[in-house]
Amino acid sequence: MSTATKDLSYIEELVAQYPEHKGGTLTIMQKIQEREGCLSPEALDELARCSGVSVNELYGVATFYSFYKFSPPGKHTIQVCLGTACHVRGGAKILAELERLLGIKVGEVTADGKFGLVRIACLGCCALEPVIAIDGKFYPRVSVRQLPSILAAYQDQ
Amino acid sequence: MIELTINGNSVHAEEGETLLKCALRHGIEIPHLCNHPSLPPYGACRICMVEVEGMRGFPTSCTTPAASGMVVRTDTPALQELRRNILGLMMLEHPSACLLCGRRDLCDEFRPQAEKVGRTTGCHTCNNKEVCEVRSLSEELGFSELPVPPLYHHRPIERSDPFIDRDLNLCILCGRCVRVCKHQHGTSIIEFVGRSSISRIGEAFGRTLLEADCRFCGSCVDVCPTGSLADRYAKWFGKAESTAETTCLFCDEGCALSLGIQQGKVVHAQAVDPDKPLCVLGRFAVAPFMNGFDRLSVPQLRVEDSLREVSWDEALAGAGEKLLPWKGETFALVFDSALPLEDKFYLKAFTEQVMQSPHALEAVPDSKGKAKVVLPHGVKAVLSLGSFIDPAEAEGLELLILQDVYPGALIEKASVVFPAAMFTEVAGTTVDASGTARPLFAATVPPGKARSDRQIVMDLAGAMHETVLSDLEEKLAASLKATGDPVLQCIRKTVPPAAADPSLRRDWFRGRYLPGLIGGLRSLEDGSSFEEKPAPLPSDNRDPAAPPQLFQIIRKREVAPNNHEIVFYAPSVAKKAQAGQFVIVMADEKSERVPYTLCDWDAEAGTITLVVQEKGRSSRKLALMQAGECAAHIVGPLGTPLDIQNFGTVALLGGCYGIGAHIANAKALKEAGNEVLIIMEARSHYLHYYLEELAAVADELIVTTIDGSNGIKGHAIDALLRRMQSGARIDRAITVGCPFMMMVASKETKETGLPMFAALNPIMLDGTGMCGACRVTVQGETKFACVDGPFFDAHQIDWDELKDRRNAYTDAELNSLLTTEPVAHAHHAHSGGCGCGRS
Repeated sequence: MSTATKDLSYIEELVAQYPEHKGGTLTIMQKIQEREGCLSPEALDELARCSGVSVNELYGVATFYSFYKFSPPGKHTIQVCLGTACHVRGGAKILAELERLLGIKVGEVTADGKFGLVRIACLGCCALEPVIAIDGKFYPRVSVRQLPSILAAYQDQ
Repeated sequence: MIELTINGNSVHAEEGETLLKCALRHGIEIPHLCNHPSLPPYGACRICMVEVEGMRGFPTSCTTPAASGMVVRTDTPALQELRRNILGLMMLEHPSACLLCGRRDLCDEFRPQAEKVGRTTGCHTCNNKEVCEVRSLSEELGFSELPVPPLYHHRPIERSDPFIDRDLNLCILCGRCVRVCKHQHGTSIIEFVGRSSISRIGEAFGRTLLEADCRFCGSCVDVCPTGSLADRYAKWFGKAESTAETTCLFCDEGCALSLGIQQGKVVHAQAVDPDKPLCVLGRFAVAPFMNGFDRLSVPQLRVEDSLREVSWDEALAGAGEKLLPWKGETFALVFDSALPLEDKFYLKAFTEQVMQSPHALEAVPDSKGKAKVVLPHGVKAVLSLGSFIDPAEAEGLELLILQDVYPGALIEKASVVFPAAMFTEVAGTTVDASGTARPLFAATVPPGKARSDRQIVMDLAGAMHETVLSDLEEKLAASLKATGDPVLQCIRKTVPPAAADPSLRRDWFRGRYLPGLIGGLRSLEDGSSFEEKPAPLPSDNRDPAAPPQLFQIIRKREVAPNNHEIVFYAPSVAKKAQAGQFVIVMADEKSERVPYTLCDWDAEAGTITLVVQEKGRSSRKLALMQAGECAAHIVGPLGTPLDIQNFGTVALLGGCYGIGAHIANAKALKEAGNEVLIIMEARSHYLHYYLEELAAVADELIVTTIDGSNGIKGHAIDALLRRMQSGARIDRAITVGCPFMMMVASKETKETGLPMFAALNPIMLDGTGMCGACRVTVQGETKFACVDGPFFDAHQIDWDELKDRRNAYTDAELNSLLTTEPVAHAHHAHSGGCGCGRS
């Protein structure tokens, strides 16, 4: 996803919808991220210009929440659960193996932009431990051995 | 009137006053940290908690308004305990070992001034030491131990912006800087970025201050309670000996300046108004401009083709003689409006009454401060107080006399040059843009023989045997009356325009282009931030199979903050090296010759290993080099090798940059059949390095830390003494480290009869016993550390002399460092282990 010379005029319209700028910026940033996948420097600079809130302050607020991202996500997001239940059943090993297979660290995106790898505290299905989710699809009781074939299914998509 | 009780005393509070303000006003001290006179109350740090009867918990006194009938206690044991705990938690992310050190007083005595260093990892190398609020708070609260080992973030020291150094490893996130930026500018150039333990002060997307549109008002630096934010120029001077207030002359806004003064020199200027910032010139340019290396300080007279430094009498007589033929309309005196009224008065009087010319020409500066004068037709002789005339126009003059502060283009043409005092050096009156008179105080001492402008023309009149200027005082007083009594503008109604928008700042003063004199302004001028170019490795184009070049860096890594392990290719040194010897390295052709102990070497591969601590200009150069680059020169091995015999049990004490030296010593001693005990000390766990390497060459390795975060709590000598007290036999000890560490080790073993040898590290030049720079006194005899040493009987060394000699070049060293400009990080080697956090 390239951020070069993107049309950012929608940000001005968003700002107009939330006249209480300071409080509204959280929601506006959320909407920007929904649309672009992340908060790019260009988008935040534009939001700062339109809202009058300093870009540094916007960035400070956004970095407080793990929800906001500052680089484009992978095409497929792999969530690895490291909640208590998954952890005791080897979630960390699953994560380590995924890092090895994809050649990236947790929180990063593969060079081809295909996979993003994130850790998550609990997916709410502790009985299925250890669990990973790709684009919202859950893979229960995964083992290190299954991982290559799971990834392969997304390789061509 | 509000009446309440604090610690049993009945006090009165004003309407809306907070408990903290009320208590402080009545002389009742409540420890506080995030509260600052420049800032509205915040209540974040919770150090200022108090007990109020009838209120739940412990309200913060900085945010609690005083109310009638309150019963407040500020210093109960419960509060003391809570405050100590809060401070203890803050200190987990601040290098705090020196606050816990048992030899703190001795250290303060032995090294009273901050030392130069890259990153600060303890108080004694911290520029903020003398004014540190964390330090004084820790004393006040009796802070004496850390609950758990501290966390060091290994953040890179940020030096790529003009004027401001940032070492966020010292930051305790009190938020003062973020708040002052918002409070004074209504915007946030800096913010808290991230959260939890990785939270830090920063700008959006890792931009620099320049990119983030910072105005460089320096208010964040002024409110910082720690050494994390520092004025790159002032930081080397510690706490100012005195302060004085005067009016800024860089433009006609008339802001009041508070000057920090050290030995008659201004070292920093800060805003007097707690709520309004200064512009970058007022805050950061005053000190470097006043103390510029090439300020004119001696009168000069042209003899034939060249200017010679002469006495005032000679210069004045010469100038008077030259001026005599030009009395009348052919003479002009040129100055600009940034002068005290008193000076202008005498300059005019000199022109009109002594030189009998109507041409006292006041150049009016444009919006950038640039002032030029077009000489009236027929003028052939000029006395100019700055570069106000075109050099081409000066060519046509018969006589040019300069009365100036810095040399400029006109000096080539000048027959006489008078050094002038200015700005903070001269008392008087000025008038600001609103027409209000502002006072100027002579707060600092002019350089060398420089005199004030009014004094110079009065002396000149005297040299011309004219007395008309000597009884003008009444007239001057009358002319000043019209401007009214001068008052300092301590409170401004608005932010000075140039502080709100740096593009409005002036660039010129007294006909001088300021960015030409002050590097930091040059970086601002470029508009773009300091560019970090990853320099291509010289080895990139080379055949990997080819042998390394002489003195090439084969490997380099930062083994601990500031300490860089550098492996050089120096085959002849490696072939001849023996334990205890050293080399002298020159990073480039212009750097100092610095001795470094040989930590290890490989005769076969032709490599030597050094540990270089980033300390001053030349070691910084080495620290910023990276693998593949070549040092200009390495000479060695030098010095007398360590005496290697079978002594029995030998204890090797190492600290700081001395730790690495013991690898070679241990190997050689062990080979000779000794039992080798290595004891290494560091202030905290993150400063230890070479643990595995040392363990591999020693029979036993003992680790000590000052803060107790790893191994035994205390210095290396504590571990050694403890070992000896338990009855263990130690036949000899060798100590390598900073002079303080070695001095302590020697003094505390003097009574035990243990033979101890210390490796001395005075300033060296040639390293072969010729220059004598490295002389030390041992047992009352003068020795040369380079050839007689480096090892000497530690109990016979004159440690105070060593310390003084090491500090001999402190001033020169400061002048050689870039004190306002950004520092290139381009060469920093990140290749693993440097821990700087950059990729």
